[in-house]
Amino acid sequence: MTEEIKDIPTIIEERESKNAGASESYWQIVRKQFKKNKLAVWSLRIIMLFALIALLSDFIANERPLMCTYQGNTYFPVFKGIAVDWGLSEWQDEFKNITWKDLEFESVIWPPVPYLPQNLDVLNSNSVSPMDDQEVESTRWKHWLGTDEIGRDVLSGMIHGTKTALLVGLISMGIAALIGILMGSLAGYFGDDKLKMTVASIILNVLALFFGIFYGFGNRSYTLGEAMAEGMGSVVVELLISFAIIIGLLLLANLFAKVLSNVPFLSKKVTIPLDIIISRLIEIMVSVPTLFLIISISATVEKPSVAIVMVIIGLTSWTGIARFMRAELLRIRRLEYVEAAKALGYNELRTIVKHAIPNALSPVLIAIAFGIAAAILIEATLSFIGIGMPAEEITWGSMLAMSRQTPSAWWLAIFPGLAIFITVTVYNLVGEGLTDAIDPKQKK
Amino acid sequence: MLKYILTRLLIFIPTLVAISLLTFIISINTPGDPVDSMLNQSSNTGQSSDKLASEQAYIEQRAKLGLDKPLFYFSFTNATYSDTLYRVHKKSHRETLEKLSFKYGNWPQIANYYSLIKKFENKLFLLTVSEDLAEDFRKLKEFTNSLYTTADEKTASTIISNIDFIVNGDREFIPVRPNFTALQKAIISIVQNQSPHQHYIPKFIWYGLDNQYHNWIFGDEPWFGQKESGKIYMGKGFLRGDFGTSYKDKRPVSSVLWDALQWTVLLSTLSIILAYIVAIPLGIKTAVDKGSKTEKSITATLFMLYSLPNFWIATLLIIFLCGGDYLDLFPPAFSLGKLPESAPFWDRFIDTSHRLILPVFCLTYASFAFISRQMRGGMLNVIEQDFIRTARAKGLKENTVIWKHALRNSLIPIITLFANVFPLAISGSFVIEFIFSIPGVGKLTLEALTARNYPIVYTVLMFTAILTLIGNLVADLLYAFVDPRISFSSGKK
Repeated sequence: MTEEIKDIPTIIEERESKNAGASESYWQIVRKQFKKNKLAVWSLRIIMLFALIALLSDFIANERPLMCTYQGNTYFPVFKGIAVDWGLSEWQDEFKNITWKDLEFESVIWPPVPYLPQNLDVLNSNSVSPMDDQEVESTRWKHWLGTDEIGRDVLSGMIHGTKTALLVGLISMGIAALIGILMGSLAGYFGDDKLKMTVASIILNVLALFFGIFYGFGNRSYTLGEAMAEGMGSVVVELLISFAIIIGLLLLANLFAKVLSNVPFLSKKVTIPLDIIISRLIEIMVSVPTLFLIISISATVEKPSVAIVMVIIGLTSWTGIARFMRAELLRIRRLEYVEAAKALGYNELRTIVKHAIPNALSPVLIAIAFGIAAAILIEATLSFIGIGMPAEEITWGSMLAMSRQTPSAWWLAIFPGLAIFITVTVYNLVGEGLTDAIDPKQKK
Repeated sequence: MLKYILTRLLIFIPTLVAISLLTFIISINTPGDPVDSMLNQSSNTGQSSDKLASEQAYIEQRAKLGLDKPLFYFSFTNATYSDTLYRVHKKSHRETLEKLSFKYGNWPQIANYYSLIKKFENKLFLLTVSEDLAEDFRKLKEFTNSLYTTADEKTASTIISNIDFIVNGDREFIPVRPNFTALQKAIISIVQNQSPHQHYIPKFIWYGLDNQYHNWIFGDEPWFGQKESGKIYMGKGFLRGDFGTSYKDKRPVSSVLWDALQWTVLLSTLSIILAYIVAIPLGIKTAVDKGSKTEKSITATLFMLYSLPNFWIATLLIIFLCGGDYLDLFPPAFSLGKLPESAPFWDRFIDTSHRLILPVFCLTYASFAFISRQMRGGMLNVIEQDFIRTARAKGLKENTVIWKHALRNSLIPIITLFANVFPLAISGSFVIEFIFSIPGVGKLTLEALTARNYPIVYTVLMFTAILTLIGNLVADLLYAFVDPRISFSSGKK
């Protein structure tokens, strides 16, 4: 009898470790199930291949040589070009404002595709077919997938388009996942009855949020606008400052709330129906079709950019993830070990972050896989109809749009469309594979 | 049941308010000036009479559109923001003044500066100079005009010194010199009396009920009783079915929308019916034959169809099937028949029906693939259940088991999809309508967005939202109809 009596923390720890062990084997099961699905595994490999192409796009398709010897010196112009783009280096005088192709190198290694997407090949303008004779010096300079109306290389555009497509998919879904997981887990974990706050902290938090938005965004709108014109880096810095202001004010508010919690009236606890609030928010977002919403918001942007499109897609497509997360946490919060953690007096944040969320993540993974496919499709659609994406940005969607002007150029319609199709399909297949792997009905 | 519906309808109200605000925010933030785009104004370098006339036209047009009202009931800004700023007519001027007052925090001086630019410009337009100064004079007007949109100190001082150079360069400009000196003084006084820290102080401005948002939703005509004579009203407001006037062709939005809606509803209805007719049997078939070779290939094909971007397929179809350099099976989809727009709708429909084949196909295939996949999933769930085994054990025919017992229960997921049909019917498919140049709601909205035709954007967004909400409600009610176990009267919130 005495052996069975353990103190509560030990029991909890045992449960936890048991649960941790179980969840580990759970992921093993998921992986095993996923690997059984040949199609999904191959899709994952194709995604990796695409990611590789995107990462190496500057080395695969570039107007500059990979390595060259020029006037007795050896250069690595592609590397140099990347360094210059990042602001780390500057071009030597002899390489400023030149056409690389026309230089007399002693020895040179060109990238497989010796064009950048925006390079105009004047000799091969007016949409030259890949099958036709091209005005090129040798097969080295052939446009393998043809050119567009003003002589840009289609293959190079396809390779660099991979970067845009994958980035849009990843970053927008990253944003969506952050918001969705946060919203969904708050709604699911606290429900309508679990979040109790004192009157003082409610008032102070609302005030802090109000002033946070005022000082963080309202007062900094011109600074943010200027940063937008300067580029991605300064936007991120300025946004971080804005968020720091808001978070700082919120922290301050909570500090004050602690002090005020001794005042009798202000210390009264009120239950906040967090689930109702967040569910209503989701309902609002869902009642306007996503594409419609994204197109409308994109139309308000004065200077279109890919980054803004990513943010817009991220801000509008988190609802699916939030719903999944909410449902999972509504289930999990009733499970024994969460109750136990609570009984032990662990604070709410720790319980949510360390115990509840990791166990709810698997369905979210499915939503993210399908979400990336949808985001890539939306980006392609926006480029295709010419809203929200900068006109000079060459993407799969914008190349496809060019085929509308020159219907005879079948290569402009087939290849970019095929790329969009394959990318969307492989992400959908991975999503499908994950669904099958995670579906408890098949877990035997 | 009735109580449930009523509660749900009540919940619609805050949702709709939020959506109307969202729409409103999107619209007012769209870059560009709708009044300008409506008037197609040229720049102000013409004759003085032209300039005055065009300015008058601008003011009248702005009042007519109701854009001379404050935006909202209240505004929460900083202390530098003037509550009379909305009275400045030009949008670009307003933006510059707002920026200036944010920067220097002294609205009275800035307002004075603005009125002095205006006075100086008016004086300029009354002036006539000799031929050889014409070029200078033109430049002078241009510089003055650019002051309206300059909030940057450096640029402003360059412009001012340029003006200074011209004005003090020739005797003929003597009449405008006093105005120019006043203008220069105003700038100095702005810089001297600046209090930039002012923008850290929050400020709340109450504008009252006569604002753009209120007029859009509730209208400014009295709900009861007589209209005041002599007063110009904006309209009855969204709630009373008055959606405003389209900026582009000055027709009522309701009639513009109605024309577009016919095409969209026609297309969507055709494609939805087709999709359901094909998808449900196919879904059932693939579920029943699970594991067979045909099933596997059908499922794979459906998956491919589902992932095929419809704008790609549409582009390919147009390139390869509609004249051009390849097959010529369909007429170029870029026109909708020879009949004029005024011809009766059904005549035009018959004339163009064979042109609709491709768009309907593009709209159908993806949703058809999606619906059959859902149907298959629902059916698979049901087939594994005990009551189906019982039905089979009873000796019922396989067909009876599937079509009578399983189908009813597997329809539930399909019903949720039906909720999406409502908004789909109105917003149509943007891209398909865009590609095939179908004058439906999607194309209308795209054009309205790029042309800043707010009233149309408002109305379409609001209607899609309302229809989605109703669609969701109908789906929930249908649930109860198909599955009697679901009840709304008790227990459920």
